Amino acid sequence: MRGLPIAIVLAAAALALANAGRLNPYWTHVAIIAMYYGILAASWSLLAGYVGLFSLSHMAFASIGGYTSALLIQWFRLPIPLGIVAGVVMCCALGGAIGWVCLRMSGPYLAIFTLGFSEIVRITISTEDEVTAGMAGLHTHSLLASATRLPYLYVAFALLALSLLLMGLLVRSRWGLFFRAIREDEQAAAASGVAVARCRIVAFAVASGFAGLAGGFYAHYIGIMTPSVGDLDEMAKLLVMTVIGGMERLPTAVGGAFVVEFLLEWLREYGQWRLPVFGIVLLLTMRFARNGLVTPFWLQFLRLGEARVSPLSAAPTVPDKESGT
Amino acid sequence: MSWDYLLVQVTNGAVIGVIYALIAVGVTLIFSILKIVNFAHGDLYMLGGYCAYYVIEYGGVPPLAAMVVAMAALFLGAMILERLMLTPLYSDATERKDEYGLIVTFGLAYFLRNTAVIAFGPFPLKPPSFIPGVQRIGNVIVTNDRLVAGGVGVALIVGLLYFMKRTIWGQALDAVSQSRDAAAIVGINAQRFNSFAFGFGAALAAAAGALVAPIFSLAPDMGVLPNIHAYVIVILGGMGSVGGSIIAGLLLGESENLFTAFFPDPTRAFAYTNAFGVLVLMVFLIFRPQGLFGRRHLRME
Amino acid sequence: MSGRAELVRGVGLVKRFGGIVANDAVDFVVAEGDLLGLIGPNGSGKTTLINMLTGHLEPDGGDVLVRGQRMSGRPPNVYAAMGVARTFQQTQLFGRMTVLENMLVPGLARPHSTWDEVARRARRYLDFLSLSDVEQLPAKNLSGGQQKLLELGRCLMLEPAVLFLDEPFAGVHPRLRDKLLDRIRELHQGGRTFVVVDHDMESILRISRRLVVMARGSKIADGEPDAVRADQAVLAAYAGL
Ligand SMILES: Nc1ncnc2c1ncn2[C@@H]1O[C@H](COP(=O)(O)OP(=O)(O)O)[C@@H](O)[C@H]1O
Ligand SMILES: [Mg+2]
Repeated sequence: MRGLPIAIVLAAAALALANAGRLNPYWTHVAIIAMYYGILAASWSLLAGYVGLFSLSHMAFASIGGYTSALLIQWFRLPIPLGIVAGVVMCCALGGAIGWVCLRMSGPYLAIFTLGFSEIVRITISTEDEVTAGMAGLHTHSLLASATRLPYLYVAFALLALSLLLMGLLVRSRWGLFFRAIREDEQAAAASGVAVARCRIVAFAVASGFAGLAGGFYAHYIGIMTPSVGDLDEMAKLLVMTVIGGMERLPTAVGGAFVVEFLLEWLREYGQWRLPVFGIVLLLTMRFARNGLVTPFWLQFLRLGEARVSPLSAAPTVPDKESGT
Repeated sequence: MSWDYLLVQVTNGAVIGVIYALIAVGVTLIFSILKIVNFAHGDLYMLGGYCAYYVIEYGGVPPLAAMVVAMAALFLGAMILERLMLTPLYSDATERKDEYGLIVTFGLAYFLRNTAVIAFGPFPLKPPSFIPGVQRIGNVIVTNDRLVAGGVGVALIVGLLYFMKRTIWGQALDAVSQSRDAAAIVGINAQRFNSFAFGFGAALAAAAGALVAPIFSLAPDMGVLPNIHAYVIVILGGMGSVGGSIIAGLLLGESENLFTAFFPDPTRAFAYTNAFGVLVLMVFLIFRPQGLFGRRHLRME
Repeated sequence: MSGRAELVRGVGLVKRFGGIVANDAVDFVVAEGDLLGLIGPNGSGKTTLINMLTGHLEPDGGDVLVRGQRMSGRPPNVYAAMGVARTFQQTQLFGRMTVLENMLVPGLARPHSTWDEVARRARRYLDFLSLSDVEQLPAKNLSGGQQKLLELGRCLMLEPAVLFLDEPFAGVHPRLRDKLLDRIRELHQGGRTFVVVDHDMESILRISRRLVVMARGSKIADGEPDAVRADQAVLAAYAGL
């Protein structure tokens, strides 16, 4: 990302935050939820878009993060942030374990395996109601002692920004390069000296950790955790958001989450029909604009900074560490 | 636990196993021809069930005939879906076909499930029985519906095996699944078989949906777990093997019902029965990340 | 072997695929400074042998040793880190990454590497392989011959001791093939060891010092090109094709 686009993004974010107080509570809530999905979409794109690991257990990790935090706080009276951190640690560990277990799986096999994992998590949470309160839902403590939602919006924004920053640094580092190499050709990556197993495990652990972070925040914002937070419908929704936005870049994935979440709310008067319509949009995106609908705009936006340099004098600078973002 | 209870569970297991096998054979068929895992298969099964229900309710058609109507409808509907959405899989210009197939079928499932909630409502529906009443053998009681479901399911599978082994179309299908290029050389139009296989798999799923409808009743999300079970079976049976799928379907149906029977805590038994099948799947994938008897599975990598 | 350090050794390597015995107790040694041609009819097991010697296939029997160290169970990246590089028969690049990025991956996978140093080295090799002009193109957009060159370049970024090239000349335009041959010869003079697979002898004979011939999963000859060419078993294997 060159200077100008960065400046624009920062300015837009500052402007939005400064004016966030004008949103009514309903739209504040929508914005918060959009940011929750934004973290999830970005971290899922890290896994599915960058490394090519098509995991269907991402929402299950959000659920695990939320429940872990809620339960630990209930049992041990931890401070809430510590509970959320514990949820993140739990998800990192479990995610790493899942990544390790499915090292030899690829494509549809990995998808089926993680789908299975996600169902087991859901079934267990629903069934062990003595611990988790099952389908009735587990009441959680609120993160902030605030009567309004605005402070939550700031927290959500900070978490999203922090997640994007950390993941952005990761994908621009050599790890990001290795991730994409694995996605393109795992065998060739190994032949090039890339420790494929380590990369895959790390990617799973990191992505799951961010999912856990999102889940932990959600738990202590909404006030109740239910097994449906991690179910397949939620996973499908996340997939719809990420793919429609563009799953191979973090900002486009987040863009997809925002666009879809806001449209879903804005079109609320059309009731149930919104969901299948987004299903169709997803199918059309796959068919005709596989890189996602936000991606062309994003690439155009990134070029803003370059427009001043004439193409001829644009000597190849340092290897594009940023070409992936 | 009494012997009678065990026998009932064994009988139920066999019936469910047959139904699973029907669904799984469809997944297998689609996998071996189109080389994709169909994540929407459970939803085709769900649609089949609803289709039969409405044909019975509004068409006044007897249940078994309604099943045939549902099969035909899903056969055609699925072929249209295949033409609309899956043709890029056969083009060389399409990159990352695994990913394409995955996302598209997963998206299709999302679309179908949510459409079903609107069209059919979220509440369970139950069509009339095939034959009301129960059969009593000693102390073992089995409903007629289960017997019909098992019997018709077996008949369909036998018919399918006959079709695969003894008819030209079946053999051509087999040829395409083994090698597209070779099939093209002997003059088989592989493209046509893509549609056919997808439609055929959907029709089998529809039959399964129609058969279980009077037993378990219909709900928009009824396809989710059978879909996962179908993968268990397909992977147990070795991706691509029809015979393997049938055996594995029966095995899974039986072991699940025995699991329920032996699970110590009856209030949780049912919930964990579903988890049991999934767990089997995961364990198998860990030890056999590419299926068990994989006769003609994925592209050699 | 005249005191030269032994780089990679396969001892009694066996690999079966179903009923096919792709490699039947093959012994194979490559020592520092070799420029070895590995030839044999299609399906004779050359690729399978290379896959085992570079860690991409676990042998059903036998052992692979790299610099005397037993390697069983190690992943390919460990082989790469120990200086064993390879190309693939069907070129395997990182298609949607740029040519330069393709070169950076192996460079940065080496411990203690820095972006600047790796980028500099990458540019030098791209220059050496005449790929500088296309460094910002996605690798999949290159011509077949350029892709083979890039794959060679990617190997070089590992600064390997030995390179296994699987059919580097197949389907390459004759002019590019000559360039490739020149480059291999140059690199060899610079101290690198090569094992070059080809299914016909023509190109290989122009550069190689030693030939290993495979047929039906077994090694049937190993020695000086002239001696091998006169070998009856070799003639029979090729005639019988
Ligand atoms: N992954 C595989 N699965 C099944 N058979 C294989 C596989 N790889 C190679 N073979 C078989 O092993 C034999 C040797 O193949 P290969 O090593 O590729 O020969 P070459 O490189 O000399 O042409 C061939 O008969 C081939 O069909
Ligand atoms: Mg070969």
